[in-house]
Amino acid sequence: MSKKPSISASKKIALKLRVLAREKEVTRRKLVVTAKKLRIKARQLAVTAREKEVVRRKLVVTAKKLKLSYETLEKKILERTKDLEQVRAKDEAILASIGDGLVATDNNGRILLVNKAFERLMGWKETDTHGKHLSTILPMVDSNGKAIAESERLIMNALKNRTTTISTTSVYYKRKNGSSFPVAITVAPIFIGNRLIGAVKVFRDITKEKEIEKARSEFMSIASHQLRTPLTAIRWVLSSLKREHLPEEQQKLVHTAHETSTHMAATIKRMLMISHLEEDGMQPENVEVDMLTLLENVSRLHDAHRQRNGLELTLQCPQNLLVRTDKQLLVEILDNLLSNAYKYTAKGGKVSMRAAKEGAAIRIDVADTGYGIPQKEQKRIPEKFFRASNIASPVEAGTGIGLYMVYNIVRLIGGTISFVSKENKGTTFTLLFPS
Amino acid sequence: MSKHVLIAEDDSSLAEMMGKVLHKYNVRVTITYNGQEALQALEKEVPDLLLLDVLMPVLDGHCVLKTMKEKRLDCPVIVLSNLSDRMTREKCKKMDVKNYFVKNDMDDDDLWPAIEKYLQ
Repeated sequence: MSKKPSISASKKIALKLRVLAREKEVTRRKLVVTAKKLRIKARQLAVTAREKEVVRRKLVVTAKKLKLSYETLEKKILERTKDLEQVRAKDEAILASIGDGLVATDNNGRILLVNKAFERLMGWKETDTHGKHLSTILPMVDSNGKAIAESERLIMNALKNRTTTISTTSVYYKRKNGSSFPVAITVAPIFIGNRLIGAVKVFRDITKEKEIEKARSEFMSIASHQLRTPLTAIRWVLSSLKREHLPEEQQKLVHTAHETSTHMAATIKRMLMISHLEEDGMQPENVEVDMLTLLENVSRLHDAHRQRNGLELTLQCPQNLLVRTDKQLLVEILDNLLSNAYKYTAKGGKVSMRAAKEGAAIRIDVADTGYGIPQKEQKRIPEKFFRASNIASPVEAGTGIGLYMVYNIVRLIGGTISFVSKENKGTTFTLLFPS
Repeated sequence: MSKHVLIAEDDSSLAEMMGKVLHKYNVRVTITYNGQEALQALEKEVPDLLLLDVLMPVLDGHCVLKTMKEKRLDCPVIVLSNLSDRMTREKCKKMDVKNYFVKNDMDDDDLWPAIEKYLQ
């Protein structure tokens, strides 16, 4: 049997369908909104992604740049390092190749560095010397083997006075094994900007030079001796002849011959004395000398010269001025100074010798009214063979060894010598020495 | 009898020159060239004057003076030496040497009067 649906049932279904349709519409609308939102979000994301991409790209570029500069930098550093190493190697090679011994110290005289020549000359290894005091590694002695005091060392002078100092006297270095050798030294202070950081000392073994000097000196000594004896014979014959009653003409000739040979003997004596002085072979004596008598004796030696040139001599010395010194050396000094005063003073000039006590020392002034020494040449006075340029050579014969010798002798007797001189006014030499 | 002068000097040229000059004083001159020869001559005959060098071979002047003292060979002595140091001078002075001349000192004018004193 067939059954027909009732109207109410159909209405119910239609109602349900309408409700469903409304619900679906709501849902659809919601979905549409969501879809819209999603679209917006998607758009935003896309923008962000784009921005990030730009940043990323930028970062990549920066990274690339950084990498490049890093590489360049690394390359540059390598190059610089290589350059520096080359410079250093070169400096070290130069330092190591210096033929003279070299040692650098700090302000307190502690060794910072020595070179190969130092190692070879002294027998020390570089590593042994580092930080050690200079005087323990490099003891300095004089020609008699006596140690030279720390304060007397050139390096102290260089550090104290901040100037380059050169050795002028005979000094020796002792090697590690105790043997010693003569050296010529130059010490210079090391500055960084104005700051003194130490000193550098360069020294040279002068054994060869000393040997040559000694041979030369010995030759001079032998030659002088050989000349001396026959000259003594000549002088004595002539002095004997002077006592004969000869005709006046002959008497004059004999006198001249005797004076000349005496002059020659004096020159030889000086040459010998110089070679002795240069060999450090002279030891001063210490005897009592009556100053006035000594001055009179010295002046008598040159009286003929004085009279010939009509020079006026003034002697000034207190009576009984007794002095303890080396008589012969003092005579030699005054003899030279007076002889120079006579030589370099025009006829009719005045010369004086004045002696007096000055504190514990003795002061002697030898003054003349002579030609003087040109200002710019005054520094050279103590030099061997120096002769002032304002001396016309025919005026007086001279060798230029007199004052050289005087300066050396003065040092030997522990004195000092100085002078003031003005051209065409005269010269005064002042000798100060202990008694 | 003429006076007798003994010369002890190792440099022959100097010794012979002295001898020749001395002849003008009409004296006899004996020349010796070292200290030993001088002493032999002294023992044979003590002279009126001895001119003595210090630095000589075999025996030096000091030895000659010492032996003379010991053997009482007394005569005036004038030393003519190259040495000028105080030690040598004083050593000679102690031996009663009359004069000491340094060959290289320029006191030649005093030499002959000193010698003549012993020849009169």
